[in-house]
Amino acid sequence: MSRKYLSVIGAAALSLSLVVAGCGASQGGSTAPAGQGSQTASGGEIKIGLPLPMTGSEATYGKDMENSIKLAIDEINAKGGIDGKKIVTVTGDDACDPQQATAAANKLVSAGVVAVVGGYCSGAVVPTLTIYNEKNIPLVVTAANSSKIAAQNPGNAFEINGTAVHQTQKAVELFKKLAAKSVAIVEQGDAYSADLAKQTEAAWKAAGNTVAAHEVTNKGEQDFSSLVTTIKSKNVDLVFWTAYYADGALLIKQLRTGGYKGAIVVGDGSADPKLSQIAGPAAEGTYVLSPPVAEYLPEAKKFAEAYKAKFNQSPGAYAPLAYDGMNLLADALKRAKSTDGKAVIKALSETKDFSGLAGKVNFAADKTLKESNFIVLQIKNSKFALVQ
Amino acid sequence: MSVSSIILQQLVNGLILGSFYSLVALGYSMVYGIIKLLNFAHGDIYMVGAFVGFAALGVFGGMLGTNWLGILAALIISMILVGLLGMLIHRVAYQPLINKRAPRMSILITAVGVSFTLFNGVMVLTNGEYQSFNTSLGFEGIGIGPINITYTQIVMVSATAILMLSLYWFINRTLYGKAMRAIALDQDACRLMGINVTRTISLTFFVGSALAAAAGVMAGVYYGSIHFFMGFVIGLKAFTAAVIGGIGSIPGAMLGGLILGLLETAGTQLPFVGSAWKDVFAFGILILLLVLKPTGILGKSEIERM
Amino acid sequence: MGNSKQVIDSLMDKLGGKKMRNTALILLAALVLLLPLAADNYVEEVMTNTFFYILLALGLNIVVGYAGLVDLGYAAFFAVGAYTTGILTKMGWDFWLTIPAAVAFSLLAGVIIGGPTLRLRSDYLAIVTLGFGEITRIVARNLGITGGASGLVGIGRPSIFGFKIYQISHFYYIYFILVVLGIVVALRLHNSRLGRAWQYIREDEDAAEAMGIDPVLTKLYAYMIGAAFGGVAGAFFAVKMTAISPETFAFTQSAMILLAVILGGMGKIPGAILGAVFLVFFPEIFRGIGQARMLFFGVLLIMIMVFRPQGLWPERRS
Repeated sequence: MSRKYLSVIGAAALSLSLVVAGCGASQGGSTAPAGQGSQTASGGEIKIGLPLPMTGSEATYGKDMENSIKLAIDEINAKGGIDGKKIVTVTGDDACDPQQATAAANKLVSAGVVAVVGGYCSGAVVPTLTIYNEKNIPLVVTAANSSKIAAQNPGNAFEINGTAVHQTQKAVELFKKLAAKSVAIVEQGDAYSADLAKQTEAAWKAAGNTVAAHEVTNKGEQDFSSLVTTIKSKNVDLVFWTAYYADGALLIKQLRTGGYKGAIVVGDGSADPKLSQIAGPAAEGTYVLSPPVAEYLPEAKKFAEAYKAKFNQSPGAYAPLAYDGMNLLADALKRAKSTDGKAVIKALSETKDFSGLAGKVNFAADKTLKESNFIVLQIKNSKFALVQ
Repeated sequence: MSVSSIILQQLVNGLILGSFYSLVALGYSMVYGIIKLLNFAHGDIYMVGAFVGFAALGVFGGMLGTNWLGILAALIISMILVGLLGMLIHRVAYQPLINKRAPRMSILITAVGVSFTLFNGVMVLTNGEYQSFNTSLGFEGIGIGPINITYTQIVMVSATAILMLSLYWFINRTLYGKAMRAIALDQDACRLMGINVTRTISLTFFVGSALAAAAGVMAGVYYGSIHFFMGFVIGLKAFTAAVIGGIGSIPGAMLGGLILGLLETAGTQLPFVGSAWKDVFAFGILILLLVLKPTGILGKSEIERM
Repeated sequence: MGNSKQVIDSLMDKLGGKKMRNTALILLAALVLLLPLAADNYVEEVMTNTFFYILLALGLNIVVGYAGLVDLGYAAFFAVGAYTTGILTKMGWDFWLTIPAAVAFSLLAGVIIGGPTLRLRSDYLAIVTLGFGEITRIVARNLGITGGASGLVGIGRPSIFGFKIYQISHFYYIYFILVVLGIVVALRLHNSRLGRAWQYIREDEDAAEAMGIDPVLTKLYAYMIGAAFGGVAGAFFAVKMTAISPETFAFTQSAMILLAVILGGMGKIPGAILGAVFLVFFPEIFRGIGQARMLFFGVLLIMIMVFRPQGLWPERRS
């Protein structure tokens, strides 16, 4: 054994001592050490996992969804829980990153969760599907909606946000209503916006129309002037932005400054009041495809008030669906009369007309919503107004 | 739009984008020229500059209005504060390593650490939220034929030109500028000649950071929103621009920024390239250029001593 | 901080004794092999991830540590390996057969990147490798065969002698074996003729050339071998994750791997290991403090470099 080998071992030993120390510390962070999870579950608690981005650039959404889910749980527990058992949660930070998401999923599995609610970034949800499935853990996805989730679903994932397919239908409907002839689609090169852009392009072309330009921007870029000139040079009468509000606002502003006169439509990633805050007067008249937002849902008044009272801020775009997702899961747990994963998955697939804030939930064969719940909004006087 | 007007409009777009790249690239090049450090935190300095300017505009906006006067005040305050921040970073994070004659790779990693600190620090402070830079500047402008140029764009480009000319004067006509150039040539000789090397390096950090801060404030005003990761992309691009021009060379950085801006704009419009491939196009040309002329356009060839 | 320096130094001195090292070896082997019996999925996942970064750090260490070349685009090689395996398994290839293909394509990528650029000054090498890293990511994002921005999903799990590898504990042992193999290869290279040539070039390129070493060719070998490490790691990454997307191979990933190498101590295998462990464990341990965790990470990074500029476990150069 040479000296070199031995120094390697030394380093590894040091590392391992760090590992042991590290595991102790990280375990302290979750509500209960692993192994005891299942015992407590049978005791008087049902443990639910929340895989959400709690750090990184998407953390605000994760926090919003976590708040919303916890609000739902407080209400359920106040009414006596599920068959007398209280619901407790463990949050797994996926940081919107596939690698960290698998670690978070394994953390939740180790903590002994019975089911999982959450999922904001599609890219972070996809690699975790099989991890949950191997343990028969049902997963209610409340925000992520790339078509890859449905395609890869081993059978345990239920999407209650309208999918890209739903949104595409709504978009094509809207384009036709606006009498668009030549459309430019702009995405941001991430899984979600590229998926929506690709599907819309295919559907719009299938309807016998033209897509004059399919452009890609990079996250964090601020200058879209050359893109605007390119779009203008192609005589486009409708621009469809499929990514998020912050960059979308910059694009809208620069399109209008650059003299573009046609219609602008943005996808659900841009359905945020900040869109018009950042873009200012340039955003007037922009159409927004939106998941059901609390302020336009007659059922959601009480929810929005309770949320405001508890967290001192307005619920974000994905809060109502997160709330629905938790309630749907609770409903399924009650119907299953068991916390056994297979029974809960069965109960979830048998969901019939579950009424949430965002409307009725029924699942199609691929475990996505049977009917789209997308709505169309338009920015009027710097505020969202319902179009239909 | 006719082909010629498209080309002209894209040229204008490219020059405006390029002038932002140039301003940030200057800081990269100056720091590299004097201590051979690729300051990875430079993009984040630009971002911090934008936020300091935003805060200053919040304070002075009420007093001076959110028009040009208020913006000028915010710009100057941001340049001074962020310049001082640059000096602080140099003293705390880089100089100790330079004193210990640490490997250059270690200083590079320290710069990554500084970048993490600034990036995440601002993220924690702003809660990851976007801030909209509310100014009362309009969209009005002048149309030269089919070309559309707003007054804001004209002021931005003029301000960039003024800053660059001042820098050029500072480097070439003042004693401090002379000291900087001398240190870039031979640090030990400078020490023998009684030049305070550390202080001059500090000053270089001040100037480079102040220029990045100016670019940050101007970007905030021009684009209208700022966020904690706005420095990442421009940091990469400015680094590229500095290398295209020949890293270490001041006019090279200016030229490199403009060339990169034009390349990207051209890439967006060109058939078979388009926005999806424009970065591949720009990086491809960069690599080609370096293979053909390994020192960048205006860089001096030198024998490398690691 | 000075205190911790002493602790680390004294620890290293103690480990210097042969007896201590042997004890450490036995203890360590037992610990690593038995860990899955006691640990839960989360710990296994974190450990597997650590092994993975150790493997990448070992590979990059050959380029950066041994040959003294800057590389800011190492994620590109890892991407080439992952995509090769992903595409080929989806075409029906057996996973184990895709590994040589992944290595071959990574080697090719190493030649493409290294060939024209290794004559450049080291700082230019930094931007060129960064550029190639970005180009690789954007190409993966734009092409149809790589699945575009959504990447490849549903990559099949491998099996060996009819035994299906799918659980995290399976991957734990596989990655551990890879790390051991990686260490053996890296050590043998370090002590080989080629290893000494790299060292010579790193210290004094002109002198090395005068002694008859072809610097460009020798550097190219470093690139190719480093790329092969990345390719193997990528192949196993693809089947472990079952889904790969271009975002995973962004500049941040390259920067992280480089961080592991330099933080631990360039050119030293224990350093690369320690760096990778720090890199994976730090964010996991401090996940509880939320957003402030990466801020803390940045500050700590500066402090470590200021107080130990040669890395946590530096190479003692003679």
